[in-house]
Amino acid sequence: MGNNQSQGQGDKGEKKDQPKYQPPPPPTQFGKKKKRRGAETSTKLPVITPHSKCKLKQLKLERIKDYLLMEQEFLQNYDLNQPKVDENSKEQADEKIIEELRGDPLTVGNLEEIIDDNHAIVSSTVGPEHYVRIMSFVDKSKLYLGATVLLNNKTLSVVGVIDGEVDPMVNVMKVEKAPTESYSDIGGLEAQVQEMKEAIELPLTHPELYEEIGIKPPKGVILYGEPGTGKTLLAKAVANQTSATFLRVVGSELIQKYLGDGPKLVRELFRVADECAPSIVFIDEIDAVGTKRYDSQSGGEREIQRTMLELLNQLDGFDARTDVKVIMATNRIETLDPALIRPGRIDRKIEFPLPDIKTKRKIFEIHTAKMNLSEDVNLEEFVMSKDDLSGADIKAICTESGLLALRERRMRVTHTDFKKAKEKVLYRKTAGAPEGLYM
Amino acid sequence: PQKEVTIPVPAKGGSNKEEDKKDNKDTEEKNTTTNTTTKDNKKDKKKDKKEETLSPEDEKLKNDLELLVERSRDEKEEIALAALEALKTEIRSSTSSMTSVPKPLKFLRNHYSTLVDIYKNSKEGKAKTSLADILSVLAMANGNDERDTLKYKLLGSGEAIASWGHEYVKHLATEIGVEYDIKKEENQSVEDLLKLVDEIVPFQMTHNAEPEACDLLLEVEQLSKIFQYIDENNYSRVCLYLFKCSYYVPGPDDINILKVCVEIYIKMKQYPDALRVAMKISDPELITEIFKLVENNKSILQQLGFLVARQKIVPDNFNYDSISDIINNSKLSEYFMNLATDLDIREPKLPEEIFQSHLDSTSAIADSARMNLASSFVNAFVNAGFGKDKLMTAEEDTKWWFKNRELGILSTVASTGMVVLWDIDGGLTKIDKFLYSQEKHCSNGALMAIGMLTSGIRSEMDPALSLLAEHINSSNTGTRISAIFGLGLAYAGTQRQDLMSLLSPCLDDDKEKMEFIGIVGLALGLIFIGSCDPELSTLFVQTLIQRGTAASESHARFLHLGLGLLYLGKQDAAELALETLKAIEGKGGEYARLTVEACAYAGTGNVLKVQNMLHFCSDGQENPHHGLAVLSIALIAMGEELGSDMCLRMFDHLLQKGNVHIKRAIPLALGLLSPSNPRIAIMDILSKLSHDNDPEVAQGAILSLGLIGAGTNNARIGGMLRALAVFYGKDVHLFFVRIAQGLLHLGKGTMTINPYHSDRTLMSPVAVGGLLALLHAGLDIKNILSTQSHYLFFSIVCSMYPRMLMTLDEDLKPLPVSVRVGQSVDIVGLAGKPKTITGFQTHTTPVLLGYNERAELATDDYIPLTNILEGIVILKPNPNASVTSPLASKKN
Repeated sequence: MGNNQSQGQGDKGEKKDQPKYQPPPPPTQFGKKKKRRGAETSTKLPVITPHSKCKLKQLKLERIKDYLLMEQEFLQNYDLNQPKVDENSKEQADEKIIEELRGDPLTVGNLEEIIDDNHAIVSSTVGPEHYVRIMSFVDKSKLYLGATVLLNNKTLSVVGVIDGEVDPMVNVMKVEKAPTESYSDIGGLEAQVQEMKEAIELPLTHPELYEEIGIKPPKGVILYGEPGTGKTLLAKAVANQTSATFLRVVGSELIQKYLGDGPKLVRELFRVADECAPSIVFIDEIDAVGTKRYDSQSGGEREIQRTMLELLNQLDGFDARTDVKVIMATNRIETLDPALIRPGRIDRKIEFPLPDIKTKRKIFEIHTAKMNLSEDVNLEEFVMSKDDLSGADIKAICTESGLLALRERRMRVTHTDFKKAKEKVLYRKTAGAPEGLYM
Repeated sequence: PQKEVTIPVPAKGGSNKEEDKKDNKDTEEKNTTTNTTTKDNKKDKKKDKKEETLSPEDEKLKNDLELLVERSRDEKEEIALAALEALKTEIRSSTSSMTSVPKPLKFLRNHYSTLVDIYKNSKEGKAKTSLADILSVLAMANGNDERDTLKYKLLGSGEAIASWGHEYVKHLATEIGVEYDIKKEENQSVEDLLKLVDEIVPFQMTHNAEPEACDLLLEVEQLSKIFQYIDENNYSRVCLYLFKCSYYVPGPDDINILKVCVEIYIKMKQYPDALRVAMKISDPELITEIFKLVENNKSILQQLGFLVARQKIVPDNFNYDSISDIINNSKLSEYFMNLATDLDIREPKLPEEIFQSHLDSTSAIADSARMNLASSFVNAFVNAGFGKDKLMTAEEDTKWWFKNRELGILSTVASTGMVVLWDIDGGLTKIDKFLYSQEKHCSNGALMAIGMLTSGIRSEMDPALSLLAEHINSSNTGTRISAIFGLGLAYAGTQRQDLMSLLSPCLDDDKEKMEFIGIVGLALGLIFIGSCDPELSTLFVQTLIQRGTAASESHARFLHLGLGLLYLGKQDAAELALETLKAIEGKGGEYARLTVEACAYAGTGNVLKVQNMLHFCSDGQENPHHGLAVLSIALIAMGEELGSDMCLRMFDHLLQKGNVHIKRAIPLALGLLSPSNPRIAIMDILSKLSHDNDPEVAQGAILSLGLIGAGTNNARIGGMLRALAVFYGKDVHLFFVRIAQGLLHLGKGTMTINPYHSDRTLMSPVAVGGLLALLHAGLDIKNILSTQSHYLFFSIVCSMYPRMLMTLDEDLKPLPVSVRVGQSVDIVGLAGKPKTITGFQTHTTPVLLGYNERAELATDDYIPLTNILEGIVILKPNPNASVTSPLASKKN
């Protein structure tokens, strides 16, 4: 009786020479995974079903609220009624001791290996690895292999952990400052905008609508179409509108120098997305990693394919994620691996065609809205022309015409400017491949 | 209270600036403040160019609408009427996406006030009512709090509500709910509203919006109207929804809702379901009524019999001779043996096989008396109900009980009763040899064994009563205690009056100590559980007063518990008793008050009562009864998922803040929250507490590990307990580790002690009684369980029941069929026909069902007589069975 935990462990340590079965030691929890389960799950609020709006849901929510109020009340009351023991001084004394144990300054190191409950191998940036003690006041559940730890400068014992589990690579992907483009900056594309909203925004804001009908909301969309038709623009507009976490990646970012780094980055990306849920992941130029698989001899290509396989798994793998939506963009959908865009991974394929006349007019309007146009400018001429103009082309024409006007030190952009600009832009467009040369 | 209903999401159409602006506002509220300023600027700019960006079609539509609005003001009624009609078609024909408000509504927003003016100024007539209709729809998008939709709907022409679509109906339903409350408060007539409700409800019922229909009727207190719209397609969804609601609706509405459920089920001829709900209300008249309805249908009657047998009650005023075998549970043992044979586990197991101590690294533990006692308990738990073991009932007498001392002998011999549980014919002979032993403790144990053996079984011969009655007034206190405790276990929940006259005089016995009185109280409480018997209640209170200070002794808790059990689940009925208890001063009275209050609201999830208990806990003193309050919280919150989840959080705080008494009770409370349901979260907490410095906390945690794993053979808990056995190799704790190991393998993993059954909806009072007796004893582990009164472990026998699904044919012969068993899914309020189970495996009956598992038939050759496949189910052949592939077809 009266045995406490640590003594018990000592007991078992002595009996190591016994052959047979070694009982598992009482749980000390290292690492991330355990932490997510144990205490945290018990403090999480229960999930409420049904999701659809009804009285039952309201009643359940009220019940939870009642319990939370009681908790609050209890905590307040308890502190009030507690006889005032001078705990502060004791705490302060404790803190002082800990401060002393920590020492000053602290060395930063890497946790290489956990030996047992009290010892670990750490490496500091300078070089050699050390076998050191872990101080008892360190939160062991925060320790995991590869964590950045604080070390005492003399004994090098572990005295603290630096939080920051997220891979800095992924942290960069978070869109902190919303882009300025909004839906109103998109000319036309009404159908696309609507599809996008139904597939991405609505499931995050009103999940119950889908449940009422009895369907699972789409997981992701792929935007495809000619260059310059507004795919990225639309994604920016989504980022501008939503209050969900928006993570953006370019496909090529997922290709890394070292083997296994690419898939790891994908995993990390989706883990962060899951943690910050509800969130939207936008992968631009997906064809960088998502091309069809084929027998390849080059290690680099195989690595790219592996990165894609990880992406496949994250999109519709074993663990279901509900609050993570994926947007992909490419202009070469036909080169993508069919597995990547199968329904269930990407449920909606949204095509961005070249703008029709109406849309062109709108795009012109948008881009010329802030320009100083002279009266003779007749945009209709360009709108009605038969040339294949994409949204980007139109923007280029407007900018080019402005530049031409600037060159001549005029304050207004004239019709001729536009004409010249158009010719220039169209010439440039076809300049790369003179017609018929390689046919 | 205001109902949540989707108000049309503000339009997000890409072309329209105005709506974009709104969206911005929405997001800005959530976004960081830094973004706000930039967006504000943008918003202003957008406003300027708002007009110019309307597409030509929109422009045209807008102008058309404006024209129509203008026209509706026209002097000539015909023109006005035509304009209004045109407006209506315009609004109706607009198909919108789900992300935006229909365009006509959007454009007409600006003209809403104009139209209101027109309405006010126009003269009575068709045009006016027609306009009112339109206003009613427009008000929906206008989104103010004045309930204009409803107002104009009432003023309108009264055309079918369906013509404006679901969104409109939803909106209307919300406003009716609010308006109804206001009118009720002001005592105005609600006739007009009710008329509208009569129109809305059938629309909702026929359009798969049953929850909404129920909500509306609940809101206007007209739930009984739902009968008219019930048919075989929607009744189950309606009932399921109402049933779930009843958990959270304050009384007495919950009872009313449940009564409506019963009536719906009766109307749809789903008698087993009706009976289940009736048992939930515990309304004897309703139960009898349902039985009378099926008097002539033998199979259904038998099925109902199985249901009440599980709940251990009998229908009043009903001649159940034809199914007395079923209701008396007399075949329970036979069915259980059948299950055991099927699973091939009839071979008795020795405690050592459970301990697996040969695997441990410690040297063999010396045979101490305490360890032998633990082995006796484990032997009883493991071989419970199998009728055969290797220690007590073996062919050649192992003289196992000689290895025990004093009271150890009592419990050891009594354990025979658990081994031969439920088997009256075969069991009595095996106990017989101990009954006439010279050793007093041995014969006492035999008495207790007889009681245990007949637990929950009714019999014509009444073997327990005839054998035990003579010992009640024996001169030996031990004998008396054994006999009375035995009677309590045997007749728990029967409410037999002859037992009252037999036992109640014992309470007055001044010569006896508190231990005896406590057991008498417990026995009486178990027998008259939930009866609210006023006579007994006064008797209990009198005894408490007479005993004075003795009433605060440790063993007195059972007297208090007995009093509490009388009111188990009876809620308000306990008020009187609570009042009288206030007269008793001191700790004893406090214990009694807490117990009675907790028992009365057991399983109700009543938040106010939980709050009371918490207040009591947070008074900042060192009161040993804090532990009881913690246990009470668990008792009140159990059986309802939200409550028990939130309790876990609460206990987290209590653990951190609470004093030692609270800490000691928390493991027990966790055990009560999920008996036979090894949830990982609870397991983790208990595993941590089992290493606590305070021995009582650790012992309680170990015991609770056994409780939450009882009868599950859970490998994880098994591993923990084995590690603990090594860890506490030389402590008293080991005794509890052993007991917990025994509980874990209760009935070799075939039994449950969870008082909730029938898809976790019904609470068996007797089972709660048994659990509570053990846990109250656990509140003072040191003085009760680990020293002399360890026989109280046997009170768990009341809660034991096979966790099986057995299928019988109409002649009550076992009928093996294939069933799918999987985790149950909450399907309340879900659209379509969702799957009720997930991750299923197909087995052949009889099968074992875990706590959160459900079963469904995997073949359509048979139709089960009850919808919840649990316990014993009668199947009848399906006339429409598909001949080809029975496995591929879904359940009916």
